[in-house]
Amino acid sequence: MARKDNHTTASKLLIYPLLAFFVLMAVLPFLYMVSLSLQSDAEMFSGQVVVIPESLQFSNYVTIWEKAPFARFMLNSLIVAGTITLLHVLFDPLIGYVFAKMEFPGKRLMFVSLLATLMIPFFIRLIPLYVMTAEMGLLNTYPGLILPFAMSAFGIFLMRQFIMPIPDDLVAAARLDGASEFRIFIDIILPQLKPAIATLALLTFVFQFNEFIWPLVAVSSESMRPITTGLTLFNQEFFTQWNLTAVGGMLLFLPCFLLFVIMQRYFVQSVMLSGMK
Amino acid sequence: MTYKTRRTLTAYAFLSPAIVYFLIYFFWPIAIEFWASFRSGQPLIGDSAFVGLKNYAHILNDRLAIKAIKATLIYAIGSVVFTLVLALGLSALLVGPVRARNGIRAILFFPYIISFVISALMWRAILDPYTGLLNAALAKVGLPQQFWLVDPDTAIWTLIAVSVWKDLGYAVLIYIAAIQGIPAHLYEAARMDGARRHHLFRDITLPLLMPTTLFLAVVIMITSLQEMALPYLMTQGGPANATRLYSLHVYETAFQGLNIGYASALSFAMFMLILLITWAQFKLLHRDIRHV
Repeated sequence: MARKDNHTTASKLLIYPLLAFFVLMAVLPFLYMVSLSLQSDAEMFSGQVVVIPESLQFSNYVTIWEKAPFARFMLNSLIVAGTITLLHVLFDPLIGYVFAKMEFPGKRLMFVSLLATLMIPFFIRLIPLYVMTAEMGLLNTYPGLILPFAMSAFGIFLMRQFIMPIPDDLVAAARLDGASEFRIFIDIILPQLKPAIATLALLTFVFQFNEFIWPLVAVSSESMRPITTGLTLFNQEFFTQWNLTAVGGMLLFLPCFLLFVIMQRYFVQSVMLSGMK
Repeated sequence: MTYKTRRTLTAYAFLSPAIVYFLIYFFWPIAIEFWASFRSGQPLIGDSAFVGLKNYAHILNDRLAIKAIKATLIYAIGSVVFTLVLALGLSALLVGPVRARNGIRAILFFPYIISFVISALMWRAILDPYTGLLNAALAKVGLPQQFWLVDPDTAIWTLIAVSVWKDLGYAVLIYIAAIQGIPAHLYEAARMDGARRHHLFRDITLPLLMPTTLFLAVVIMITSLQEMALPYLMTQGGPANATRLYSLHVYETAFQGLNIGYASALSFAMFMLILLITWAQFKLLHRDIRHV
């Protein structure tokens, strides 16, 4: 809008400090996390707020592994988030394809029911899911952490949105040639879906890596905790050790940050495409 | 077997894992929760008896639940209003000729993808009344110490601020996409008629953004009504239950009080409310889209 208008100097003097403020606020917790993670215990407990540590205490990054089983927490997170991501990559494109390009009785009803699941708050399912998981003997296990998220309408919907623009003629021609639906999916749809699937994988991984509520409920043994709930356990036990908590925060933050930087453009695109959280 | 039947069967075969999965993990739990919400004792895990609407009626006598509902409404409405107003302003700036605007958008979007655990822990560190960065900064400019999350009067607003911080970039992103979708000729025509910049914004941009605004209001409202991780991690519902949001109340009723039947009724009441709000907002969205 109004792109050709030139801002006056006065408005520039107003706009840039304002934008700078919001940018600073957006990154402040992360800058502070980096700062905290490099502070010595003496600085932590000095009673003064330290912004830039006197000498960078990289040993915090070593100490933390001795204070709590972070390697185990990290492994748990990677196994759970990784498996869920794999399941989504296997199933979501196929089911998205069915809704995008195939006609069958009950399609509309099924699609609407699928979308309706997006409106079901997780905490509505929380109690029954807990009881179901307990009855199956899956509390404190990887399957118990994975199964409630093994599929979601979001991924299927996202894949459908990416498959819809692929020309129907292409699919119809293959059908006329006698190709099976599965062949069409593998040979025609999948190759065009690579960036979309990468996006799906990233989104799924980031959200699952950060999942907090379900492991809080379904895991009671320390050794099965993912890093999210592992970190809060750590934070409660060493309550004032903000420097070590911040190192733990860095461990949780870095994998997602790297993925975000690599995939930022696709990520933004998919959020806008789906228009959903 | 006709060609059509075969294709239908293929479709169902592809869908079958998903059908089974969604029935087990989505629809069955809801049905179970609905059933449990009419029972006392320990439905789902032990002996229970049918009590009709007693659990639902009890919500009105549950002082903590009422307090939680109020706090949740303040939290949800506050989050929606502040996020949308700020996002609208920022996106209006960021479609203009601003340096590094793509970089600024990316940075603003950043908090949205960061885990609640990190956000909550680091904001707690920043907001600590004695050792926190924020009060230290206030002291530098001569302002008095604030008890952000410790004072029952300010705690909920502090929580709202953190939630706005988290969602702002998402709202900006959606707004920018919407603003860029507005046909340029509308602005050109208005400018030929001598309209000024702020008129263009008020009379063209703002009305045409109504569907987007409603969409964002729906999404942020619904997620805020369900918020649990943020209060759990930042305040545990305190001080004096000032930030005990509804889902946290449900969680504690179910998993600490082990009052499953009542917790189910609490959940279901919220489910109904969310459905109602979603329905109302969809109506508004549709009406608005027709008018545009």
